[in-house]
Amino acid sequence: MNTHFLFHFVKYQLLLKYRYTWLGFFWNIIEPALYLIVLSIVFSVVNKMILEDYAVYLFAALVAWRYFETAVMTIMESIVNGAWLSKRMHVSPYVYPISMWLIATVNFLFAFLAALVILLFIKDEWTIHLIVIPFSIILWALFALGFGLICAVLYTFFRDIKAVIQMGLLFTFFSSPILIKIELFREYSLQSQLLEYHPFSYFVFLFQKPFYYQKFPSTLDWSVTLIISVTTCLLGIWLVYANRKKFYFYL
Amino acid sequence: MIEIARLENVCVRFSRHNFEEKSLKSYIHNLFKKTPAKPFDALKHLNLTIYEGQRIGLIGRNGAGKSTLLRVISQVIIPQAGKVWINKTKKIVPLLELGIGFDPDLTGEENCFLAGSLLGLSHSQVKTKLDRIVSFAELQEFIHQPVKTYSSGMYARLAFSLATEIEPDILIIDEVLGVGDQFFVKKSVARMQKLMRQGTTAIMVSHNLDFLIAQCNRLIWIDHGQILMDGSPVDVAKKYRTSA
Repeated sequence: MNTHFLFHFVKYQLLLKYRYTWLGFFWNIIEPALYLIVLSIVFSVVNKMILEDYAVYLFAALVAWRYFETAVMTIMESIVNGAWLSKRMHVSPYVYPISMWLIATVNFLFAFLAALVILLFIKDEWTIHLIVIPFSIILWALFALGFGLICAVLYTFFRDIKAVIQMGLLFTFFSSPILIKIELFREYSLQSQLLEYHPFSYFVFLFQKPFYYQKFPSTLDWSVTLIISVTTCLLGIWLVYANRKKFYFYL
Repeated sequence: MIEIARLENVCVRFSRHNFEEKSLKSYIHNLFKKTPAKPFDALKHLNLTIYEGQRIGLIGRNGAGKSTLLRVISQVIIPQAGKVWINKTKKIVPLLELGIGFDPDLTGEENCFLAGSLLGLSHSQVKTKLDRIVSFAELQEFIHQPVKTYSSGMYARLAFSLATEIEPDILIIDEVLGVGDQFFVKKSVARMQKLMRQGTTAIMVSHNLDFLIAQCNRLIWIDHGQILMDGSPVDVAKKYRTSA
């Protein structure tokens, strides 16, 4: 793989984002902050919770979710958007998805730090459980890459899949416990069961448990997320490899 | 003689519906269609061996498969059938277009690093060559400006200068020498000739037959994805001219 090129490409893309505008850097902080504030106000009412308390709950998984969403959407279009290069020069098909993934990850780390700063003002207790956060990030990142690669292959062959993926992500977001607390529903009710076994819940718990519930994610959380992220990653890598000869004809 | 590239029985086929629609909808639609769209064969069972130091010109009508052949040799297209072997020890620089890997928002210098890395050069290797690249392109004043502010001639000069300064073993050129003003064309042809004297293998497509006769020592005439004639430039050019 063209690692030299990958490095330079990512470096310059990030550089360009922040070069001409100071706002570019602050936007990274302001945008999630605004998003967080609006959603906090609305959903604290829905969840019948105190605003500060709910903001901590929401923040825990929202920033990670926004990363997942951005990474998947940009990786999805990366092979097609790489046509400017891959129609003229031999470049490994992995270069485009991985560069988009790296860019999204760096932007996420900035946003995450910004969100941590905001949390300093509203979260009282900071506990030892937060040390697992780097591992949570790694699992989310792997899942984003794997799922993004699968989408990238699908999108190259079927452009109309984009709307389907977007809708799927929207549905996942609103049906997961990112916004709505499981405790809102009666125990063993259908809604709480659906939230509990929502496949994304396990990923959400990786952030919510250490941040909001002040406990470590369970072994089940770790194993389910590990299996899902590694499997999607391997599947994505294999799909790109298996179809690498066909991409040119669909660009 | 050292082999540079060997193509055996290479076929490249474009399915026609690819050009029309790339959607799940049309995919499902095509599953039920009785007569599938007829594919277009850009290259048909093509055999070709290229040796070191050869200067090959490719001629043929529009759509004959010249550019597709260059893309197969540059490994941009992986053919559906046949074998392609490329000498991995040689540095191939495809100039299928000038300015491959350039980002319009980056400065000239940054683009040298970016496009240089694409051609297999490390940061420090580009750094040592940068002065020569810039002075050959005559862009000393503008090298810290974004290339989107360049005129098309300036852009082409920088791209050509970069691609040839890295001393490729194999240069693949697709109709890119007609850019820039007369002085630069002269200068770039001179540099090409110098590279070739040093033993660089070149494969070029051009519609300028006289240029090819003057520069090449092997001329290949391609028609409908097949090699029609392969030999000395004068003979092939004569036959080609009478066919038109």
